[in-house]
Amino acid sequence: MSLQCLIIILIQVMTMQLLIAENVKGQNLKATKISAKVKSRTLEDIFKVIEKNTDYVFVFPTDVKDLDDTFSFHFKNESMENVLLRLGRVARLKFKVVNYTITAAFDENLMLKPEKTPVTRNVAIIVSGTVTDTETSMAIPGVNVLVKGTTIGTSTDADGKFSLEVPDESAVLLFSFIGYQTKEVPVGNQTSITVSLDADITSLQEVVVVGYGTQKKSDLTGSVGTVKSEEIQERQLPSVSQAIAGRIAGVAVSVNSGRPGGQSNVRIRGFSSISTSNNPLYVVDGVIMPVGTQTDGSYSLNNAIDNINPADIASIEVLKDASSTAIYGARGANGVIMITTKRGSSTGGKVTYDMQLSVPTIGPNRVEMLNAREFLATEQLGWDNLKVYDPAGWNPTGGPNGTGSHSSGRQDPQDARAALTNIGTYSLFDADGNPLYDTDWFKESTQNKLSQNHQLSVTGGNKESSYGIYLGFRDDNGLLLNSFLKRYSGRFVMDSQVKPWLKIGGTLGYNNQQENIVDFGTGGLNSVRMITEALPILPVRYPNGAYSHNKNYSASIEGGRNPVDQLLNNSYDLLSRTTLGNMYTNIRLAEGLELRSTIGVNILERERKRYDGRPALQTPTYVNSANERGTARVRSDRETFWSFENYLTYNKRFADIHSLTAMIGTSLQETNIYFFQASSRNFISDFFQTNNIGGAQDFAVDSPPVSSGKARFAFNSYFGRVNYGLLDKYLLTLTGRMDGSSKFGEANKYAFFPSAALAWRISEEPFLKGNNVISNLKLRTSFGQTGNSEISTYSALPTLRVVTGVINNARVLGVATNRLGNSDLKWEKTAQSDIGLELGLFNNRIMIEADVYYRKTTDMLLSAPLPVTSGYETITRNVGSMENKGLEFTLNTENFTSNDFTWRTTFNISINRNKVLKLANPAPIFGVGNPNFTNQTGVIMEGQPVGSFWGLVRLGTWGTDEAAEAAKFGVNTYRGTGKPLLPGDVKYLDVNGDYAINDLDRMIIGNGNPKSFGSFINNLTYKSFDLTLDIQYSYGNDVLNMTKHSGEDRTGLANSYSSVLGAWTPENQNTSIAAVRDSKAGYVSNVDTHWVEDGSFIRGRNVVLGYTLSSAFTERIHLSRARVYVSAQNFFLSTKFSGNDPEVSTYTNPFAQGQTFFDYPKPTIYMFGVSVGL
Amino acid sequence: MTLTIKNISKLLLCGVFVAGAGCSDFLREEDPSNIAPETFFTVPEDAEAAVYGIYENLRFHGDGTGIFSANFQMLDALSGTAETETGQNSDLNNLYGFQHTGDNLHLSQWWRQLYDGIANANLAIEKIPGIPGLQDAALQKWVGHARFMRAFHYFWLVRLWGDVPLITEPIYTWNDPAVNAARSSAEEVYATIEADLLAAEAAGFPMTDASGLASQVAVKSLLAKVYLTMAGQPLNKGTEYYQKAAAKAKEVIDYANANPAKVALFPSYDDLHNPAKENTLEHIFMIQYAAGIANANYQTYFLPNNTNITASGEVGTTVPTAGFLASYEAGDKRTEEKGFYFKEYFLGGGTGAPTTLNRFYVFKHFDVIANGAPPPGLAGTGNSGLNYPLIRYADVLLVYAEAQNESGGLNVDAYNALKVIRDRANLVTPDIGTFSQSSFREAVWRERWHELSYEGITWFDMIRLGKVYDVESDTFVDFAGASLNGALLSEKHLLLPLPAADFRNNPNLKPNNPGW
Repeated sequence: MSLQCLIIILIQVMTMQLLIAENVKGQNLKATKISAKVKSRTLEDIFKVIEKNTDYVFVFPTDVKDLDDTFSFHFKNESMENVLLRLGRVARLKFKVVNYTITAAFDENLMLKPEKTPVTRNVAIIVSGTVTDTETSMAIPGVNVLVKGTTIGTSTDADGKFSLEVPDESAVLLFSFIGYQTKEVPVGNQTSITVSLDADITSLQEVVVVGYGTQKKSDLTGSVGTVKSEEIQERQLPSVSQAIAGRIAGVAVSVNSGRPGGQSNVRIRGFSSISTSNNPLYVVDGVIMPVGTQTDGSYSLNNAIDNINPADIASIEVLKDASSTAIYGARGANGVIMITTKRGSSTGGKVTYDMQLSVPTIGPNRVEMLNAREFLATEQLGWDNLKVYDPAGWNPTGGPNGTGSHSSGRQDPQDARAALTNIGTYSLFDADGNPLYDTDWFKESTQNKLSQNHQLSVTGGNKESSYGIYLGFRDDNGLLLNSFLKRYSGRFVMDSQVKPWLKIGGTLGYNNQQENIVDFGTGGLNSVRMITEALPILPVRYPNGAYSHNKNYSASIEGGRNPVDQLLNNSYDLLSRTTLGNMYTNIRLAEGLELRSTIGVNILERERKRYDGRPALQTPTYVNSANERGTARVRSDRETFWSFENYLTYNKRFADIHSLTAMIGTSLQETNIYFFQASSRNFISDFFQTNNIGGAQDFAVDSPPVSSGKARFAFNSYFGRVNYGLLDKYLLTLTGRMDGSSKFGEANKYAFFPSAALAWRISEEPFLKGNNVISNLKLRTSFGQTGNSEISTYSALPTLRVVTGVINNARVLGVATNRLGNSDLKWEKTAQSDIGLELGLFNNRIMIEADVYYRKTTDMLLSAPLPVTSGYETITRNVGSMENKGLEFTLNTENFTSNDFTWRTTFNISINRNKVLKLANPAPIFGVGNPNFTNQTGVIMEGQPVGSFWGLVRLGTWGTDEAAEAAKFGVNTYRGTGKPLLPGDVKYLDVNGDYAINDLDRMIIGNGNPKSFGSFINNLTYKSFDLTLDIQYSYGNDVLNMTKHSGEDRTGLANSYSSVLGAWTPENQNTSIAAVRDSKAGYVSNVDTHWVEDGSFIRGRNVVLGYTLSSAFTERIHLSRARVYVSAQNFFLSTKFSGNDPEVSTYTNPFAQGQTFFDYPKPTIYMFGVSVGL
Repeated sequence: MTLTIKNISKLLLCGVFVAGAGCSDFLREEDPSNIAPETFFTVPEDAEAAVYGIYENLRFHGDGTGIFSANFQMLDALSGTAETETGQNSDLNNLYGFQHTGDNLHLSQWWRQLYDGIANANLAIEKIPGIPGLQDAALQKWVGHARFMRAFHYFWLVRLWGDVPLITEPIYTWNDPAVNAARSSAEEVYATIEADLLAAEAAGFPMTDASGLASQVAVKSLLAKVYLTMAGQPLNKGTEYYQKAAAKAKEVIDYANANPAKVALFPSYDDLHNPAKENTLEHIFMIQYAAGIANANYQTYFLPNNTNITASGEVGTTVPTAGFLASYEAGDKRTEEKGFYFKEYFLGGGTGAPTTLNRFYVFKHFDVIANGAPPPGLAGTGNSGLNYPLIRYADVLLVYAEAQNESGGLNVDAYNALKVIRDRANLVTPDIGTFSQSSFREAVWRERWHELSYEGITWFDMIRLGKVYDVESDTFVDFAGASLNGALLSEKHLLLPLPAADFRNNPNLKPNNPGW
């Protein structure tokens, strides 16, 4: 046997076959076995040896022949196929076999280029094996297996198996995987190796999604919070914002309505802006979500993000500091919420099914109204007090019974009651004057209707290609009658490693959502208001089926349809169809260098179909006026968004000391919005609803009856980032983005937003490494600039508008000034600095993360008031500044861990303080971001926080002993003209002592933003049981409860809150509630301190008790897992607030948090759920 | 491989190229739903549109001002003849009680809306002459309308605030110094008003115009009112201007006498709020409304609070005071049921059983079509299109009577001007010989109060004359020191305080009006 070679040959007949290095096919090649040991021979030599010992003949071009590289290998009874495969891989050759002729050529598909200088390559030992978890002995898929000191490597498959060629026996294998300690195994003689990896808690190898990439959590230099899909699943809620509420410090989510899909406000680290949006930027699977129209007048509608099915989300990352948000430049100022959706499976087919059934019930707190008897008594008291509080209008003998009358024509209630006794169907009183009905309108307006939610996912694939199909159906029935949200959603995802250097994938989602917005019309006599104001003495329906109406009792009642009538006979259908698609291509251009190209599209089509049906009759003989015979309004919006982004990422480690990731990219985005609307009124029947809008008598509901509009805006951006790590201890991140927006003036389209951050992993220092107590310690700091561009389109352009003129009683077109141009308009900038500390103790059983930050917004975009003598009220310009400073603290602890019992706790607290530093003009700004109620409700003022309430100070009520002082206010008082102040009237602080209460006496009287807020969440497991207890708290948020205006300040026009039972009487003078009197006597209602309530609260947000079926059982029914659970959301609420819920705002204006005028009450939801997988 | 990389690089470069080279287009913006000033004023019709845009502005009178109130109510509230049935609007309450400040929403909206109209007028005046192809007659006419409207707007401004910024050219950029304009003297403002009106008078308007645009009669009537005001406080130009006022008013009266089918007093008070009579005869100039196109939202504020007698809804924040109603002479037809006032209507939204209210409410502006006609009538539409009067012939007659009495002395024409109005009210007018200049003067004033009530005129008479009508004693007392519905008036109340926001934001407005 030759020293060089020993070949045993078996020859078979060959047919034509095509071979490439990765794939050698054919029986005969498989059957031909070779044993050989070769050391440092050229290819030509090796081919010769094979030719000599088999019937195969090699043909190869000169460049192969002349290759000076040498190869070594050791084949033991290997098939010819394997020999060619292994040889080809090492030598970058591909082979074509025709009969016995093998043609060899260099394979262009293999990335390696021929080396300039000859090298020696080993075609060597194949080692295979399995990698498992030390603790569970379960196989770990995806473990990186690397030959130390080389680039030779592979990763384990679904079963934890791997197979790898190593050059020789001296090779050492490195096994590494996220969350495990890296292990080194020398190969030696072994060809089969079983490795078990130890979990690594100290390294925190969690990967988080950041803008245009991912990062290990340990390498983060910025402040990023994460919510995982399991946490989202704990609350089965329709919207993403509700799912993240309370999960991340610094992220304030105010869920301001109990309506399914109802509005919530998301604020990250306070406010950055006065007149532009304070909403964060949403990025889904790397694609920026468009910010389109979000309101209908003062009512908020869904936007693109609300149409994402929370069940489809794999994780949510919230980027908070400038280091992480600056990569989104001009749109990062309000923070960025990154959503990663669930993908296909890399480990074979999986099916999961989740189902919940739930029922809403009246929430833990509810407002209490007067019942029938209390209402009647209050009304009577009001009548009796009429002569006290308006003696001038009182005629002692004017009444029909000689009981006196009032100039307003208000009658003695006894008369009205008598007229409604014994009149048959419409009787409200029995012969003794007792009410026939005592209706609890809240109860009558609610439903406990079963809601259902089904989520089905089918995923499949392998390491190379995977797909997923996600289907969802939810049918949420709200607490109020007829209130619902229905959503059908489907999503298909695909990812494929087409070539070793090419990966493509994409998502196509479609979402069809229908809601009935039953509480539309804040400020008017809408359904939620009438729950309080409908008279308890009225039935929902009379015996003949007719709905009651407040006017049925008396013409002097303010009016308003009963809430059940409204809920059932009015509708506001909002249909949203969202198509969300994105496609990416990932190309590995070279080792460590990747290009990612993403195309994203979001098409939101929204239909609004609003119909107000005929109201109940005000009197039995009432004829509905033309404007009460049905009103239909339709509006259709289409918002089309696309983006095209390309970026290159380069990743390199040098000498185990330096690690570098650099990224550079471009982005194009465009949004087009178009709307069309029409309305009509006076139908022959309520039958048509909005489906025959042409079949109406009257097309003059709105002027003009049809309208349309279009808007477009676009962004063009360039961005880059460098992450540098030294010794994995000292980390540096630099980012920059050059952003261009169409919304700005010609000269200022572009701006640059830089950031820098440093982190020091102190626990990696020798003096802490291996410390028993401190397992992780990191200090990080960042500084950077971000921007805000969410102003209206075309704010830089001067325009005229078309107005409706009237000549000859017909419409003529006029033009009028609309907007002054501002070619200097530019970005609003927010500079933010952040210092954060991450501390892990006792093997990270206790983890603390704390951040302090300071944000300062300058060049604040403001619809700044102009002297209106110019003919213009405002100009959008960059002026003013504002600051936010705050503290965030998160504590995660594993209180107890054993095989049977675990207990983990999360506690977080956020504190933010906001202050307006400078405004455009000396004058405080009213009317921006606040509704105007009886007066201005809020103010933006230098030196004060935004969200401040503006009003009078109610000192209480004037006492009998203060009659003389009250009289000094004269006859024209805040109670009305000719209405002197009397004991029992509201007493205000007269700041300047001029005995007049006007704007000079108004001041800041509260703030809707909490001083601090957070969550306290406990997760416990015991054997197969799991329990989650999620508590939310908020401290120091005021509520401006404007419902007191109609619910408490005035009586007799409608029903009132039961608090009026504690109103002023000569015997009960220590009260803030004025003496009950008929409204015609003159009463007082102003935004004042009595309306401002402490809205601090502790809420039982969610409690979940689950049971996971034993695997023995699930296997028997061919399931991989099964869990059943029950939960209760909003199960308790501890607060001093007198309304339904202190977490409330019924206005969309950015600073109207806490300002409420009759809200959709938040229900307690009881749920049963099943989750199975197979 | 190389090929792939090349292609990718190409693609990427291409993307950058598109973004780079095409960026000026990609980021360029053009508002597709609104017109830019520089692309407008190109065809003759644009002149009309610019003028209609100014006329549209007049509708601000009926626009809402917080809860349960509209702008027009400011003038009625200050007149002392009205009160509110519901005290919910504290800004309105403060006006009623003369406790208003510069923050008052009503006065700041008046200020803003008047200057809004002036900005539109300035734009039209500057741009219309440049419209290619516009015939000279049309040019004169449309610029004339713009100048008439500008004059009217300044007339309100100068009476309410005295010295005000006088802006006569359009502002195109926010850093134009005119944005922070200083105040011009009332004298200068009146000079501009007079010049504008004289130009409008010569602009070739028809004598009357039932379409709702200003007519020559309207221009002359307004000129007469302006001269009368200039004759009184605060300019006190006296006889010369009384004379001018009388002369202008006389032109209108002469025209009316010669063309009774064109300009005349309505025979019936019903015609004052009859939609079919809008812009004709007595209604010389009105704010144009049309149901469904531009609804007259002022309607509900005059109606009795929560009585369910109309299809419009009833707010009741401008209702006559008992004292003022009692000040009418006995037998005055205007105080009869459904003359100027009413207390009887129909329940159930205007179509049900008759009901008698406990007091009188304003009927002058009552829109039967919107509110509902009595049974067996029609249910109301709930949409009012009733115009709101700004200049009535009755006003012109009384302007003449007063101005003539002050300048040339009482004559038959002046006497008759008063008498026709009293005749219509079924009142006996004493013989001309029984009047002295001063008794005639007060008779005319009294008539103005009673005839022109709730039309936004009385307050201007009060400050022009420096007098308050004391309804108890039926006499006129000096403004300063007078008591009006319990409020004590002083000199400072003759002018409104400057609106707080502008006063704080524009340093050139300082100082504020005396006493504020």
